[in-house]
Amino acid sequence: MPKVAITLRVNGDLHEVMVAPHRTLDEVLRDELGLIGTKVGCRTGDCGACTVLLDGKAVSSCLTLAVEAAGREILTIEGLAPGGEELHPLQRAFVEHGAVQCGYCTPGMILAARHLLDKNPTPTHEEIRRALSGNLCRCTGYAKIVDAIAAVAEKNRS
Amino acid sequence: MSQNHRYVGRSLPRLDGPAKVTGRARYAGDLSLPGMLHGKLLRSPVPHARIVNIDVSRAAALPGVKAVITGRDTPGIKYGNWRLMPETQDETPLAIDKVRFIGDEVAAVAALDLDTAEEAVRLIRVEYEELPAVFDVAAALADGAPLVHDEGKLTSNVSLDRKIDYGDLDAAFAAADYVREDRFTLPPVSHAYLEPCACLAEADLEGRITIWTSTQTPYIVQCLLASTLGLRENDVRVVKPFVGGGFGGKMELRPWEFCAAFLARKTGRPVRFALTREEELATGRRRHPMRIRSKVAFRKDGTLLGKEFEVYLDGGAYNSMGPTATFLCGNFGAMLYRYPAYRYRGYHVYTNNPPAGAMRGFGAPQALFAAESQMNIAAAELGIDPIELRLKNAMVEGDEIPGVATVSSCGFVESLEQVAAMTGWKEKKGKLPPGQGIGVGCYSFISGGVFNWFNTQYEFAAVEVEAYDDGTLHLKTMASDIGQGCDTVLRQILAEETGVSIERIRLTAGDTGATPKADLGTWGSRVTLMAGNAVINAVRSIKDQLAGVIAARFDLNVIHEVAFADDRVFAKARPDRGLSFGEAVRMATRANRGRALVGRAGYTPRNKGLVTPAFSFGAQVAEVRVDVETGVVRVEKVTTAHDCGTVVNPMAVEGQLEGSIHMGLGYALCEELKMEGGRTLTSSLLDYKIAAAEDMPPSESICVPTFEAEGPFGAKEAGEGLASPTAPAIADAVHDATGFRAFDLPITPEKILRGMGRLDE
Amino acid sequence: MALPRFEYLSPGTLDEACALLAEHGADARPMAGGTDLLLRMGRTGRAPSFVVGLRRVPGLADVRFDREHGLSIGALASLATVAAHPDVIRHYPALAQAAAATATVQIRNMGTVAGNLCNASPSADTAPPLLAHGAEVLLHRREGERRLSLSRFFRGPGRNALEPGELLREIHLPPPGERTGSDYQRISQRSQVDIAAASVAARVALDEEGICRSARLALGAVAPTPLLVDEAAALLEGRPITDEQVAAAAALAVRAARPISDVRASAAWRKKVIGVLAARALRAAVEKALAQ
Repeated sequence: MPKVAITLRVNGDLHEVMVAPHRTLDEVLRDELGLIGTKVGCRTGDCGACTVLLDGKAVSSCLTLAVEAAGREILTIEGLAPGGEELHPLQRAFVEHGAVQCGYCTPGMILAARHLLDKNPTPTHEEIRRALSGNLCRCTGYAKIVDAIAAVAEKNRS
Repeated sequence: MSQNHRYVGRSLPRLDGPAKVTGRARYAGDLSLPGMLHGKLLRSPVPHARIVNIDVSRAAALPGVKAVITGRDTPGIKYGNWRLMPETQDETPLAIDKVRFIGDEVAAVAALDLDTAEEAVRLIRVEYEELPAVFDVAAALADGAPLVHDEGKLTSNVSLDRKIDYGDLDAAFAAADYVREDRFTLPPVSHAYLEPCACLAEADLEGRITIWTSTQTPYIVQCLLASTLGLRENDVRVVKPFVGGGFGGKMELRPWEFCAAFLARKTGRPVRFALTREEELATGRRRHPMRIRSKVAFRKDGTLLGKEFEVYLDGGAYNSMGPTATFLCGNFGAMLYRYPAYRYRGYHVYTNNPPAGAMRGFGAPQALFAAESQMNIAAAELGIDPIELRLKNAMVEGDEIPGVATVSSCGFVESLEQVAAMTGWKEKKGKLPPGQGIGVGCYSFISGGVFNWFNTQYEFAAVEVEAYDDGTLHLKTMASDIGQGCDTVLRQILAEETGVSIERIRLTAGDTGATPKADLGTWGSRVTLMAGNAVINAVRSIKDQLAGVIAARFDLNVIHEVAFADDRVFAKARPDRGLSFGEAVRMATRANRGRALVGRAGYTPRNKGLVTPAFSFGAQVAEVRVDVETGVVRVEKVTTAHDCGTVVNPMAVEGQLEGSIHMGLGYALCEELKMEGGRTLTSSLLDYKIAAAEDMPPSESICVPTFEAEGPFGAKEAGEGLASPTAPAIADAVHDATGFRAFDLPITPEKILRGMGRLDE
Repeated sequence: MALPRFEYLSPGTLDEACALLAEHGADARPMAGGTDLLLRMGRTGRAPSFVVGLRRVPGLADVRFDREHGLSIGALASLATVAAHPDVIRHYPALAQAAAATATVQIRNMGTVAGNLCNASPSADTAPPLLAHGAEVLLHRREGERRLSLSRFFRGPGRNALEPGELLREIHLPPPGERTGSDYQRISQRSQVDIAAASVAARVALDEEGICRSARLALGAVAPTPLLVDEAAALLEGRPITDEQVAAAAALAVRAARPISDVRASAAWRKKVIGVLAARALRAAVEKALAQ
């Protein structure tokens, strides 16, 4: 199948890429743009490691055709804290609360949390757990991940 | 625990956290090199067959394909982790003349892109002559069963067995007031680490290999990759990048590592393999399914008299780490309590299922589900509270396990007492309304093994530390952080030991080309104790020299103690008499006429019995609510009191505990690799279910204070033993809630309803 | 596993999309959210030659409600949109519950209710509440449009009533009545986040005396298609809904169920719990109706 030229807007930057229509967004982000922070854990939309925000909404990039992401606003983990060494509050909370172990679920987990806090800046613990329904973690038992997100929510509250 | 510690005992956030939360941490599948090819494996679709012919011509002719290999193109050298017993080394990277399970690797392709590699794999034609196959232990042991391995000396499918005998068991049963015999069945489950395995290999012009691979044992991969390629060990460099979890599933040489290296040499280009989740779940290593028969004898006052423990492990098609599981199951079956007499028979059985291997707990989750469930059954029938029964028989410091080990530090009794107090156990057990229940399970685990099955010539752990005159240190070790946090913990230990601030310690880890030989890797909860000790040993010579510098510079009386703290080296009694760490290093280096200040040492447990230098202990209570109309279980709370010696990093230990509960809860309630005719039916994360955040109960825990003399700063195992108590605790709580006692896992709602007599067939 | 190759077509109007589907017949598949279609392609390694993406077709993502006409859900309306829609939550609560329970946050943001129906999985969460609420589907083709009651749309596992060149443009639900309540109950043996092993939606409308004016009970994951239990409706209507009535209706649900055994659950357990869920859904629906 012929490749098509598309423009992807990722973390505010415009990228013109040639992609085959069957390429998914995770493949193009990783292989064409070098944005390897988007992880691949299952490619069936079950694990959430490949979560990115598309027009502000958390989606599985492994089930998103790159051609369908063209022209839309894409946020990956690399774009969460654009300013050099400064971390986004969620990133800082994940580090400080021990929400990171192997780290493979972390980028997707943080973007799912960002999606939640955008909709609901002060979620309860229960709402946080529900918002992570699409993100699996095998290391932490989720407890410290929920703590980290709750800590950011707590700051939003005050 | 000393209050004076600056680093040990502190909940220091892991030092690789920022790399991981920003997406900058690179895992094996994230790596690429110019000119890189993509590899793909062809796997057997049948469980047992002779390979009659393989035709790769169409695959090789596909444009973009750079190489296709089958077993016949390779040296065909067998390998396996148990180098000590070469007859157990039963695998070749690619099948030579026979396939033994669905997923057995048959051929490999390297192509310009992944689409082409996948297409080429589809074009390989393999002619199989199917053989009769066996899919469970009973079939494998039946008269006339086909042999999974007919090439060696074995005359049955029992690949090895293990016996333990001590005390007079027949007399114990004869003298007993109460004897109880039960059978338990444990299912295969998956590690389900989030990062599927991947590797990238390149060959230099002299044929030497560098491979970046998702492994928890770089040294083992180095040795076995060299031997299977016919290379010298030093011609293979293994680099562990960030690793997305392992849990025992990444501690062997794997076929894709061999194929990447072999194809890199053959094509002259870097080659990357990345497994799919389906490959991982359908063909990957798993926890051993087991059948356990346990017979236990008590006096009517609850005193344990003895136990007979018989275990059949379904090892699948190859030995993998099965010998260790067979060995350890026998040990775990006799842990926690004083058994005056014990008889263990363990049989590792080949079948045509995908091979089982090491997985967190390594024989303990199965053995302790049986042992702890039986303890709860016995308590009920003896009319003794289950925690009281445990206290009556609990191991204590100084207890000897005949022929195996002596228990050094032991906080088991305190763990039981604490967990009972934390949960209000006495007020709840047996007294909750229908549908609610509380249950207990306990564990003990090893802090690394002492049995040298890999037959290494090197120390079990080794560390090199170099000190620089800018006041920094460089710590080099093969110890491998796969997410559990040893990169941080080892730096904590070094910082504590030298007084050098942790941010001044640079770490190079898990690179066999740049770190001292050897470290056996991350398994068996060995790293904190063994590599931690190696750190302390390695830096001793540096500290001696720096103390000498201070003594000379300040003309100290020989009786002065020299202290290392706050990036300074000084006379402890006269802190003004000292230098900054960097200045002291500069003086030492000058005194040595420019020779760099390097300390290098190792740690190997010696005279520590057959199993481990130190045991951890703990007790856990689960509280559940069961929907008695549907059988659905909600775990409402898990409470743990455990003894891991000195806690080097409390936040990391808590994280290990919470992750263990996740895995234990899954083992208890929802995880199972469902099999049919050797085929794994649950090959996606939709069908193989691990608990989501919503499924997890709150956890409360404490560490009971003990000091392990053999461990660095008194530390020992944390995080692997904890994989065991959750399943028996939940099973006991379900029994308390419903009257249904589970003898096999997972405890599904339908088993509960059936057990309650509420499910019509 | 990479997706198999296909060509991607992106029509700008509904008629253009239907024309492409008619032209390519079995070689083309329409795609809304893509979560089912792409997943299946990855799993089977088979793809149609053409994927007809509907994203550019204007107006399809709308969810509209008014008391006179009821609820319209466009083909591109996501599960998340429907789950969070205030009018859906208020007037069609079972549907909001089901949309919110489908898969995961990410899948709900991508996947659509229409796609969930077209996929025709027996366990589709939104099917039972839509059946219980008397939904119709509007099937569009260039030659015109037809309306079909949802119960006639499902033809078997993975099979629906769409003909070549035809698209599900909109789902329509009749206006909510007075004193009407609905509820959705689902169950998994394993996790809060799982495909439903069995599910039930119930809708009841009561008169001022508490007599059941109309009732519907729909089952998911226990038959080759989502299923309306008409006998239960007949039993409940015209009388007050007592505990005995609920139990009898639940027994009819059990009788109507024809479940299979798979990796998620056995047929025996599914049959058992479908009755439990039916009773719970009915009781909750009555409570909601009374609360209005």
